[in-house]
Amino acid sequence: MSSESLTHLPAPGLPGWRARALLREPVTLVVGLGVGGLLLLFVLWPILEVVTYAPAGDYLRLGENARWIRATTNTFRMVALSTATATLVGFLYALALSRPDFPGRELLRLIAILPLFSPPFTIGFSYLLMFGRFGVISHGLFGLEASILGWGSLWAVQTISNFPFAALAIERALSATPPTLEAAARDLGGGWLAVFRTVTLPLVRPAVAGAALLVAIYVLADFANPLIIGGDFPLLATEAWYRIDGWGDLRGATLLAATLLPPALILFLAERYWVSRRSYVVIAGRGSSLDRPPLPVSLRWGLTLFCGLTAGLILSLYFGVVAGAFTRTWGVDWTPTLTQWGVALTKLDHIRNSLVFAAAAGVGATVLGTVAAYLVDQKAFPGGRLLDALCVLPAAVPGVFFGIGYLLVFNRPGVALAGTGLVMVLAFTFHNLPFSFQIARAGLAQIHRNLADAAADLGAYRFRILWDVHLPLIFPACVSAWTTAFVNSVTNLSIAVFLVSGGNQVATFSILGLIGDNRLEAASAVTTLLLLTTLLVVGAAWWLSRGARVIPGVLGG
Amino acid sequence: MDKPYVELRHLGKRFGDVAAVADVSLDIPEGEITTLLGPSGCGKTTLLRLIAGFFPPDAGEIRIKGARVDHLPPQRRSTAIVFQDYALFPHLKVFENVAYGLRRRRVPGPEIARRVRDILDFLGLQGLEAASPLQLSGGQQQRVALARALVVEPDVLLLDEPLSNLDAKLRVRVRTELKEIQRSLGKTTIFVTHDQEEALSVSDRVAIMDAGRIRQVGTPVEVYTRPADRFVADFVGIANLVPGTVRALTVEGLVLDSPLGTLTLPPRPGAAPGQRVTILLRPEAIRLFGAPGPDRIPARIRSTSFLGGMRRHHLQVEAFSLTADEAFAGTGDVGGQDVWLTVCTGQVHLLAGETA
Repeated sequence: MSSESLTHLPAPGLPGWRARALLREPVTLVVGLGVGGLLLLFVLWPILEVVTYAPAGDYLRLGENARWIRATTNTFRMVALSTATATLVGFLYALALSRPDFPGRELLRLIAILPLFSPPFTIGFSYLLMFGRFGVISHGLFGLEASILGWGSLWAVQTISNFPFAALAIERALSATPPTLEAAARDLGGGWLAVFRTVTLPLVRPAVAGAALLVAIYVLADFANPLIIGGDFPLLATEAWYRIDGWGDLRGATLLAATLLPPALILFLAERYWVSRRSYVVIAGRGSSLDRPPLPVSLRWGLTLFCGLTAGLILSLYFGVVAGAFTRTWGVDWTPTLTQWGVALTKLDHIRNSLVFAAAAGVGATVLGTVAAYLVDQKAFPGGRLLDALCVLPAAVPGVFFGIGYLLVFNRPGVALAGTGLVMVLAFTFHNLPFSFQIARAGLAQIHRNLADAAADLGAYRFRILWDVHLPLIFPACVSAWTTAFVNSVTNLSIAVFLVSGGNQVATFSILGLIGDNRLEAASAVTTLLLLTTLLVVGAAWWLSRGARVIPGVLGG
Repeated sequence: MDKPYVELRHLGKRFGDVAAVADVSLDIPEGEITTLLGPSGCGKTTLLRLIAGFFPPDAGEIRIKGARVDHLPPQRRSTAIVFQDYALFPHLKVFENVAYGLRRRRVPGPEIARRVRDILDFLGLQGLEAASPLQLSGGQQQRVALARALVVEPDVLLLDEPLSNLDAKLRVRVRTELKEIQRSLGKTTIFVTHDQEEALSVSDRVAIMDAGRIRQVGTPVEVYTRPADRFVADFVGIANLVPGTVRALTVEGLVLDSPLGTLTLPPRPGAAPGQRVTILLRPEAIRLFGAPGPDRIPARIRSTSFLGGMRRHHLQVEAFSLTADEAFAGTGDVGGQDVWLTVCTGQVHLLAGETA
């Protein structure tokens, strides 16, 4: 240790000092005010509009509305059930992924990542193909013809859709526990189970809680799977859509959406709190090259079987979607055919819209997120806390809520944005801002202050430092920010349904329409095409940025 | 002394409630290595960063070659810094890292190529121009950082713990190289370290800092043999601090009562009978014998560390603990636990104004 602790003190000075410093940087001030203005306009305004749209009296009478009560209890029931199972499955899966001696763990990881790149309803849709009225398994294998729509199926679908998030989060924590701790505990005489119970589990408990909260947020906000699989199991998100789609009842829809907001906010804040506590895991000195002790044989086989089945299920669900695209009539006539692709080609405009809107939203979210991160982290901007809060706020807002907000504010008659692609791009941009903002912040945090100081010391002024040091080093983070926003936007349905009109149709909405018309094979073809193009674009982005991918912050100490 | 090359006058810098640098004044002569030495958090790195211009001082002045610079941003100061973690730009090749400061100074391309090549040759880095800093060893990274700083020909070279990221063996070699490089270029250098051995070995002058203040400035020999106070004595080298009371002033010198018995030291002006003093005994000022003799003080060896060229004994003289070094000759070492010691009174220093 040296006196470096002093140089790591927070930026010096009082707010007054900061304000004066900022006046000397008019560009920063203008940019900061501009970003703040955009956030107020495109984040805060739509949210406030939804909450205040219905008169207060409507909120007071909610308790008398049987349908509202049913949707609310159903929603909480689904969140509780799905969170419990998805976290449990995710934990077991993570246990396998974190063991270097586990067979095929890289393949398992790849399969778990797959759902992150596909529209959120893909699992629900393929579940329909497997277990629906003419499902391969329910009808083909067991000859059943009963409808599987309802809460049980939705629970299964939510578990499968969301366990990968839990698995990846928990695996990070498990891998971060130093193997020496386990070895030390075993050395002191603990058996595998005792070590797991007394050392490993307590260390990853915050990560497990964080993962559960993350899953709960996703289940609470999910719209597409309940729409396809839920049947007559009304949830808040789907009910809000039915109010608008069926009755044109905006007031009723805002009441339902507004009901989603408090639990979503609470879960979101709790998750952030847990994540911030997670860092106590490693209190070790230098890294150790010690291998993790092997799992007991019985557990290893049990886990292998479990993970194999889970991964197999995911693969078969995806296979079902692809197979559907080449089938004449699903469950009835298995003749291979290309006719579905003819239908898919008629939806090419919608796929193109999806890609263009998502690409534009990716650029918007990345630029805005990076600029905001720079202001908050590097510039000690006076309103930095507020800017920070506004940038992450959309992550706490379910898509349905956000979509209704944009519908109320920007998609009404008389507003120039109504029915345009731009309104879709703006909604996707600001709903994805939290991701790009946090990725950019993490990227900036990797760039040690000394690099900027070194450039200044050698004669570079502010913009030169930004150009020479910050931009090249943050570029890889920008690529992942763009990719995240792009994938989220291409696959989005919950916002899109409230904003589509003739001119700005997107692929997810046409797929939903095809499923609704029971044209499952054509829906399969469009989904497959969308998946392929998305993966292609993401692959191209990574390939194009490969040269710029250096790892900053690994020099010296 | 000539007019100082770098002058610090009453410099102060606070971070919140912490006075990182408090009323520091220091003259730094041209062409020498001046080291800021002190424990963690003593303010030495803050002082270096004030000189580099990374933040303004709250009080005081900084002059380089007579001109005030404390209001100037780092870009306009003729200083160049080597960071503890080197801060090499990871996305630029070695050549571009070194050329960076020259490009900012709008030096013409051919001259940049020549100057970068020259400095890389001088530091033994030829052939690494196209390498990424990430591919280099710690020692090479350190020299690239040094090249990047030297190539802009700064008036003052600032080194912020440049050796602390190297392993022990390399550190000793590089510090010797660093001193030779500095000698051959005659570059005025300010070196920050918390390692007293490093400070003593590379510096022309050492400023010892504690809690934001400078406790003493002097040559390495001065601060080691005649430390200004107890803190400096203890921080630089190993110190046996023995309390004593002046019994008498005689023609032979100063007669003191101490836990080691009666000691007679060379005469010292200003000492008065009855005065309490602190005696600094360096480990090499104690001589050990395996047998009793006149004026030899009996002691017990508690433990011994073998350090290669010498043995370091931890001794007990009644209730008092001492550390003593014994040159190792391979044979003839004092065996057993009972030893007798004498004090080389010529190597003893009395700490001024200190009462034990």
